[in-house]
Amino acid sequence: MKPAAFKYVRAATVPEAASLLAEYGDEAKVLAGGQSLIPMMSMRLARPEVLVDIARIPGLNEIEANGVLTIGATTTQSAVIRSDVVSAFAPIIGVALGHVGHVGNRSRGTFGGTVAHADPASEMPAVLLALDAEIIATGPSGQRTIAVEDFFVTTFETALADDEVLTSIRLLAPTGNACWSFNEVARRHGDYALVGVAATAELDGAGKVTKARIALSGVSDTPVRVKEAEESLIGKTLSDGAKVAGEIVSSSIDPPGDFHATKQYRIEVAGAIVTRALNEMADQKGTR
Amino acid sequence: MSTTPTESLNTGLNIQTMAEADDVLGRRKYIGMSVLRTEDPVFLTGRGKYTDDVHLPGMLHAAFLRSPYPHAKILSIDKTRALALDGVHAVYTEADFEPILGHFVTTVHREEVLTVDRPIMDSTVARYVGQPIAVVLADSRYLAEDGVDLIDIQWEPLEPVMDAEKALEPDSTLVREDLGTNNFAHIEFQRGDTEGLFEGAAHVFSKRFHHGRFMAAPLEPRGVIADWDVASDELVVWSSTQIPHLIRTFTAGPLGIAESKMRVIADHVGGGFGMKAHVFDEEALIPASSKLSGKPIKWIEDRYENLAASLHSKEMIIYLEAAVDKDGKFLAFKGHYIGVGGAWPAHPWTSLIDTLPAASLLPSIYDIQAVSTQIDAPLTNRCPSGAYRGVGWTPGHVARETFIDDIAREMEIDPAEIRLMNSIPDEPFVSVTGMKYDGGSYSASLRKTLEMIDYEGLRKKQAELLKEGRYLGIGISPYVEPTAWGSEVAKANGFAAEFFDAANVTVEPDGSITVTTGCHNHGQAHYTTLAQVAADTLGVSFESIRVIENDSSQAVYGTGTYASRTAVVAGGAIMRAGKEVREKIIRLAAHAMEVSPEDVDLADGIASVKGVPDKSMTMAELGFMSYYGGSSRVPGVEPALTSTRSYDPPETYSNGTIIAIVEVDVETGFVDLQHIACCEDCGTMLNPMVVDGQMVGAISHGIGGAMYEDLAYADNGQFLSASLMDYLYPSTTEVPHMEISHIETPSVVTEGGIKGMGESGNIAAGAACINAIADALSSFGKIEINKTPIGPSDVMDLIRGLRGAK
Repeated sequence: MKPAAFKYVRAATVPEAASLLAEYGDEAKVLAGGQSLIPMMSMRLARPEVLVDIARIPGLNEIEANGVLTIGATTTQSAVIRSDVVSAFAPIIGVALGHVGHVGNRSRGTFGGTVAHADPASEMPAVLLALDAEIIATGPSGQRTIAVEDFFVTTFETALADDEVLTSIRLLAPTGNACWSFNEVARRHGDYALVGVAATAELDGAGKVTKARIALSGVSDTPVRVKEAEESLIGKTLSDGAKVAGEIVSSSIDPPGDFHATKQYRIEVAGAIVTRALNEMADQKGTR
Repeated sequence: MSTTPTESLNTGLNIQTMAEADDVLGRRKYIGMSVLRTEDPVFLTGRGKYTDDVHLPGMLHAAFLRSPYPHAKILSIDKTRALALDGVHAVYTEADFEPILGHFVTTVHREEVLTVDRPIMDSTVARYVGQPIAVVLADSRYLAEDGVDLIDIQWEPLEPVMDAEKALEPDSTLVREDLGTNNFAHIEFQRGDTEGLFEGAAHVFSKRFHHGRFMAAPLEPRGVIADWDVASDELVVWSSTQIPHLIRTFTAGPLGIAESKMRVIADHVGGGFGMKAHVFDEEALIPASSKLSGKPIKWIEDRYENLAASLHSKEMIIYLEAAVDKDGKFLAFKGHYIGVGGAWPAHPWTSLIDTLPAASLLPSIYDIQAVSTQIDAPLTNRCPSGAYRGVGWTPGHVARETFIDDIAREMEIDPAEIRLMNSIPDEPFVSVTGMKYDGGSYSASLRKTLEMIDYEGLRKKQAELLKEGRYLGIGISPYVEPTAWGSEVAKANGFAAEFFDAANVTVEPDGSITVTTGCHNHGQAHYTTLAQVAADTLGVSFESIRVIENDSSQAVYGTGTYASRTAVVAGGAIMRAGKEVREKIIRLAAHAMEVSPEDVDLADGIASVKGVPDKSMTMAELGFMSYYGGSSRVPGVEPALTSTRSYDPPETYSNGTIIAIVEVDVETGFVDLQHIACCEDCGTMLNPMVVDGQMVGAISHGIGGAMYEDLAYADNGQFLSASLMDYLYPSTTEVPHMEISHIETPSVVTEGGIKGMGESGNIAAGAACINAIADALSSFGKIEINKTPIGPSDVMDLIRGLRGAK
């Protein structure tokens, strides 16, 4: 369980990282916290020839709230959990991050890493989908913004080009009367979810849903939004719409089965936890 | 392990002599006290020395090429590219080892058991995913693994044998052609009129249970370092093992070296749990590699190797039947135990270490009149299977106790009540399989545990919660644990064996005392608990005792630590040797102080004349006198204050009850294990803190087997649990608060009344958890759980099945 030989380069700036990635193409991988990549290399499941370490690039680990929330890619997950700015702006992020591995993992693991790694069973991709986040990528020709809807391509694969670095994640300010919920079932605390849900909604003055986003983890090769279930909530209170939305989720997903949970299990439980999440949501305000 | 024939197996008549050292408990100062572990400062300050902490000059690192196929013929092996890599020194396969390394010949000495004779590295046929096919020696482990990647092998995949029951059919593909069958043992046992009782019974119940495959998963995986000095022809082996002397005995033959020239060191071992009480192929292959290369060789097992290719345990398909009278009284049991073995029987115990104990303990605490058992031992294309904390008592217990809950539900009898009404008395009792229980608290511990949880109150709370749509479950699991593996308890479990363990007690010139035993300390705190025994036996201070184990050249010969044996076996040997040394010390003191020995008392390390407090001698004075005292010593008496005694104890059994309380989320299948209550009885407790630690650790293992841990194979033989991402053991976030209480019923047969303990948590906790889950779901319909582990997906399958059945 030792990695194959690889070259290690520490980038001092984002442009340097981008140019290294451009130089080595798909033979290079970006290293940040290393909590997923290094175990995969040790098991020789991943054999990158070059590691471009971005963990010490100055300024890449900052959190800013200025109408818009920006979380730098190399901010550790622990730092995000501890951030008052993040918990005021989008409390779902800290709650969901608490399910990512254990303290030791989160002290090294980065926020950008858990997004760019694109494990469909991990928490952050679904949360960002529910938050309608934007992913900022930087390449040799500059910066671009990728809508979260377009970011996750398949398991471990994103819309990032070979020469692009994920540099930050951006959230717009909440509008109106917003609320959120996160719920997942994992075999043990810290394990990847068998199935998980991140949901957000905006309510009108009467408590009726005007907008909703329901994102699931663990049910496909990317995080999945169930738009039909979202639409079913419009014009209803959350508690009136929760049950039907859950049923729609169960009838519209096509999850995989493995030896931890059958396909049937994921279908049933995805619906159950969506209903549960929507019922819990009214009490959890603070984001869109 | 011996050549005793089957006829000498348990006859029910082989009660041994009673204890010799019967006066120790009367003057005890340390036994029974929670003396802090003297081992701890070393570990707490990071000074532990595990196998990987040993570095020798010129040492090379080994990595094994392991089969990716469950069953395949190997057509060719080309080492060229591997050997060309800078830093790779050698690549060895079966052909390289053949001239210098013999075979492992594995059997259990019973006429029903076939013998498997195999080369220790087989580079011609792969029979499980993870089997070693070749070994690479290189300057570092990294380079050795690079070398493994560069070996070119032509494989011809063969059909894998994965279904253990189909493997027993005559037309099955064979795992080992040389054996002519996949079933290396068929064993039957019969006592009492089973058929008559079944025919006349008011009720007959049956159950098929498939107990899952799980393992010790120690924090420190295996590891071997061998340094074969080709000039002196001496071999030193460091191994992460529980049985240093047995490693020497079982590998010296195949390695072609005298045991007197071989030393096995197993200093600090990061968890053994029975897994490391085996003799592994690597423990012969690494010394052989050292001999071939002329270099010291280190191999440290990684987590993949540990999960895929060390040792699996406890997988068993069990068919049970019970004859029960109209009131719920058990009359007779039948059991068919099919042990799901691996590619070959693990050396030396074989996978019968699961099935034979499972069958032998079928009656447990229940007073039945007759029993019939059958065992089959199919090989399959899986990792070899062998002993792990609780051995086959675990699957046997989970099957029996879940069956009893099924019967109780069917007959509408409370699960505690049906157990109490069928329990044997708390006095010594010979079970229908011939096990000689030496007295305990078989029903008293159950009653006490029920009190601990306020059973009646909890049942009321359960009913109230159910009205709110909440599903609380209570699982009850009383147990008996056969302990102190020596000749008698081995025979009681179907293993013909005659052997012994020893201890040496020696007073040094300064009056300090060295105790050595052939057992092994890997977390059980022997250096503390056995020092407590020695101090009380001799009448000296605890601090003056040093216990040495873990090194075949420093300690007396013995078979190591496993099967809850050391407190009884080494404790008893120390009591016997210590009693002799105490008598020698008193005789020396009496001679020096010119009184008769009866007038001398030895306590707290001071020999004093009774009634004359100022006339006394210290151990320092007596120790020096024994070595250098010349004519002041006792004339005509051997001067050394030393004794080596052996002890092969009678059968002794601890017992207790574990109760689990769960709440099941019926929408997600998630089981919240809220509480474990336990009352245990291991006779005379040496150190209650250590007893509690053993319970907590073993219960955690039992929770793992019941709810989390699964060494899963796909139908095509691929191994699915290849990392700790998929092999899930319960961590501090899953293991609940435990409440542990004690009843102390000293053994009537062992030295000091000590019974062994340490495995019962892994025997009984799993059944408590499974019974609690079933109890929680019983309102859905006629629930029957027939497999482990049970995860959330299984819970939802059960609920779906019950809802569909309505």
